[in-house]
Amino acid sequence: MKKMTFVIEVDRCIGCKGCQVACKMQNGVALGSNRNSVKTIGPVGEYPDIQMYFLPTMCQQCENPACVEVCPTGACYVNEEDGCILIDQELCIGCKSCYQACPYRVNTFNEELRVMDKCTMCIEEREKGELPACVKNCCGGALHVGDINDPDSSVSKLLKEAGEEHVFRLRDFGNEPSACYILKHEKWMDVLPQDCLEVRKGKKHGK
Amino acid sequence: MEKTKFLKSLSVVSDVLAQDESLKLEKEKASETQESVRKIKTACRACISNCSVIATVKNDRVVHLEGNPEDPMSKGHLCAKGLAAIQALYNPNRNKYPMLRVGERGENKWKRISWDEALDIIAKKLIEAKKEYGAESVFCSTGGGGNPEFWSISRFCNVFGTPNWFEPGCAQCYLPRMSIYNLMYGGTDPSIADSNSHEIYYEDSEMKCLCLWGADPSYSSPAMGGAAVNAMRARGVKTVVIDPRMTPDAAKATVWLPIRPGTDVALALSWIRYIIANGLYHKEFVLKWTNLPYLVNTETKLFWRAEDGGDGQTVDTFMVWDKKTGSAKPLAYPWNESYDVELDGEYEIDGVVYKTGFRLLKERVDEWTLEKAAEICWLDRDKIEEAIRVYAENSPAGICIGVATDQSPNSAQAPQATCIIDGLMGNVERPGSLLQRFGNSGIFSVGYIVPPAPGKLSEEQFAKRLGNVEHKGLNMWLAAHAPTILEAMETGKPYPLRVWLERSGNKLVNVADSKRWAEASKNVPFIVHMYMYPTSFSSYADLLLPTEEWLETDMIQESCNKLIVRQAATHLWETVDETAIWSLIAKRCAELGDPECKKAFDAEYMGPDLPYWDSVVELLDKTLSKADTNWAAFKEKAPYEFMSEEAFRNYYAYLKEDPATGKACGFSTPSKKLELYLEGLITLSRTGMPYAVYPMPAASKDYDPLPYYLEPYESPLGDLAKEYPLVMTNGRLPMFHHSTLRNNAYTRELFPAPEVWIHPTAAEKYGIEDDQWVWVESRRGRVRGISHITSGINPGTVYMERFWNPENMNKETHGWQEMNVSVLARSEPPYNDVFGTYTLRGYLVKVYPAPEGAPEGVWLEPKEFKPWLAVSTDSAPDMTKEGL
Repeated sequence: MKKMTFVIEVDRCIGCKGCQVACKMQNGVALGSNRNSVKTIGPVGEYPDIQMYFLPTMCQQCENPACVEVCPTGACYVNEEDGCILIDQELCIGCKSCYQACPYRVNTFNEELRVMDKCTMCIEEREKGELPACVKNCCGGALHVGDINDPDSSVSKLLKEAGEEHVFRLRDFGNEPSACYILKHEKWMDVLPQDCLEVRKGKKHGK
Repeated sequence: MEKTKFLKSLSVVSDVLAQDESLKLEKEKASETQESVRKIKTACRACISNCSVIATVKNDRVVHLEGNPEDPMSKGHLCAKGLAAIQALYNPNRNKYPMLRVGERGENKWKRISWDEALDIIAKKLIEAKKEYGAESVFCSTGGGGNPEFWSISRFCNVFGTPNWFEPGCAQCYLPRMSIYNLMYGGTDPSIADSNSHEIYYEDSEMKCLCLWGADPSYSSPAMGGAAVNAMRARGVKTVVIDPRMTPDAAKATVWLPIRPGTDVALALSWIRYIIANGLYHKEFVLKWTNLPYLVNTETKLFWRAEDGGDGQTVDTFMVWDKKTGSAKPLAYPWNESYDVELDGEYEIDGVVYKTGFRLLKERVDEWTLEKAAEICWLDRDKIEEAIRVYAENSPAGICIGVATDQSPNSAQAPQATCIIDGLMGNVERPGSLLQRFGNSGIFSVGYIVPPAPGKLSEEQFAKRLGNVEHKGLNMWLAAHAPTILEAMETGKPYPLRVWLERSGNKLVNVADSKRWAEASKNVPFIVHMYMYPTSFSSYADLLLPTEEWLETDMIQESCNKLIVRQAATHLWETVDETAIWSLIAKRCAELGDPECKKAFDAEYMGPDLPYWDSVVELLDKTLSKADTNWAAFKEKAPYEFMSEEAFRNYYAYLKEDPATGKACGFSTPSKKLELYLEGLITLSRTGMPYAVYPMPAASKDYDPLPYYLEPYESPLGDLAKEYPLVMTNGRLPMFHHSTLRNNAYTRELFPAPEVWIHPTAAEKYGIEDDQWVWVESRRGRVRGISHITSGINPGTVYMERFWNPENMNKETHGWQEMNVSVLARSEPPYNDVFGTYTLRGYLVKVYPAPEGAPEGVWLEPKEFKPWLAVSTDSAPDMTKEGL
């Protein structure tokens, strides 16, 4: 069965966040909502021998998706054609259960429409034979999507070339994330996206 | 465009907030109708790169942007700034019409006037100032990001008759590197952010090591240089990164040297010493293709010439020491195989001591051991050695020197030193090196299409250029010295400044010591600000002119072996391309009788400098006539391959035979050798040549032909450090360019306020917690930012990038005083001798908690940026194309 997912060459992500704006412009994602987000992992270690890398995060296209399981209206579902997890915004009641259930908090609440929003890997674009906006414009050439169940797909080849020891997934809570991260030049850190402070607003004092 | 539609566009209320407008835009995009949809190949100008873009335009409205893979440099990548351009284009706060101040300065009360009225007011003020105070009392400025056409400003100054224009960049950004590499080598400098170093864009390049010295292409040009460097790393190219903070490129480097800001030259001198001492340099290249074996008279510091070429074409004959005969011999260009030339020698001949350039260089760097560099630069000795080894043992290699070293008074010496390093290693014009003279289209005379017309400024007016006798390097860009202009504004000396025409992003965010500038501007009776949207600086101006966003402009650019175009995807309001605005002003001055401006429209008088144009298209047509085409035809063809890739990659250009002489071409320098001992700087300091249009008096002191290290004036090693213990550095962010895009909802929500990076040990010492509002204070003032405690910064250093708050434009601060690190920077001497560079980085600050929290009125939450979302806007005619 087809399973479209992201395969990300972490060594190639330069943290420019162009993918976030590409997604926003493509999909009209509301201000304050993000279908994808680049996290800075580190630096860790003893100065100056430290390491840091960038981790693009988005829906991990789980094999056993908690969001689908908890959705009370069936709005959140697995698209049979390509295995992509989608939200039918007509059915969504904005209860945020899927957000709470997601181990990575990568679904996003659209404040304008008052419903949940998530990465579809730009399904409309893919149907036209185009790549998702984030992949197409990625400055680092780090982002890839494809069918990981097809051994001949470009992403499967990438994973094979990288070698198992360099392929990582976000922490598995039984949800079996399918998105893969290839990291060769740094040590993989087991960090969850929601634990990264990416946009600083000065929480200790003031607003 | 029919008149009714145009009139309709005028009726749109300018301050409408954009509650759901962006959603409306998106919905319109989503619903495919049979209405007109065009795909336009254009190019971004959200920064100084020109990444190719495909814009989808539906019913004259730009609805989608993506990178164009046909571009040999950006290869289809597009960054946050470019992708956010639709938000910039349809931003509700665009300058839409010319506006005249009606309240007091600073009240931000404006009334709409016509272009006709605006040009009349400006031209009259200019003519009045010229009559009463001389043309030099008018000054112009540019900068602050993404100029559509850099030379427009200096051209206007030259034809109007004022010698004074400046930009916050120039001596602080790119001029030092461009000029020094031009003098030493004659080809392009290796700045990646300035679209040079074409070698990095080729997958089959032989390059084995890239050194990024104060450069971070991942952030400064993510889609172009950043992407290319990333691809190089993926191919296994080693990288050395010298940067006080852990940028993405530093994080991915083979070796990272987190240097103390302002000490780069000290480090570079240690590299030279180590490379010489360990015999790592390319001996044959240094002997035959650099001027280091030539004998220098140690009294005059000039080379000993056997013969002066005399005609300006023939190369001078220099003296070398021949070991075979044990005597000084004339060496006719390029080489004499019968000599055994000494590279490293010292000789007394007829009572005069002569040393080879190499010996002088060796003496200059002698004190710079790795130990000393480690101490001065706050680095680990062994790490420095490792970095040099990685670079030197992986040839071909190259050093890309970035903007960092342009921002302190060591600005000339840094590129001198890095050019020496690449020169010693023979990393010049071989496959895999950054320094190349690849092909070009022949379309551009000096990098852009507008001829700057330096000869049209009279000798009398040229002599009045502020600050250029001491800092003659500024004349390469025909520019005045920014701090000397500031002093003239403050004191009225040597003459009063009466009219300021300013085109840039927020001037007060980009000049050092912004408070002085804001205060001094009050002494200038008439100020015009032209930009795509109002900035803090608008509050200090009297008249605002609306300029076009890049999606409204037309231009041609080179991208490796292709010509690409920026072509208008739409046009809004009454905006005008800045390149045309200067000609419109000149035209009105001419109509009102200004004799100099009248001549600027005389084709015969202007000659190759071209008479002024009524529109950019007219200029493009004239430019393209060289290639027997015109704009309308050419823009359909672009991207256009003007030569094959093979022909473009013209390696070993210096070895090619010059048909005129039958000898090797050599480098584009007076000696045709790589001038690592830069005698040319002495000539420059004494005469202004090769940049001065007219003879000049000598500077008070000769410039130094060899690089020297100047400890920052506000040094952490001195007494001032007791009060201000930390060294400030700045550096680029990927979602903004200079002071742009802080009013763009999609970029601002990514980075709502400037971070202040501080090392954990310093944070602990000064009582700073993470993600806390802090004060950052220098001798010149204090501003706030948000702490980011990170080990990714030199422990004695703090990092903060320029910022302003458009949301506070109508407050007393006008948005530039809250979080603007340039308030803290140093505009006083010392200046770099050659270029007059002041101190934007490498001054002292202290950091302490700000229990007051965020500055009043600033926006931090995404939803607060909603008023800046794109407003659906009808297109309107471009008056320079269709008349008004």
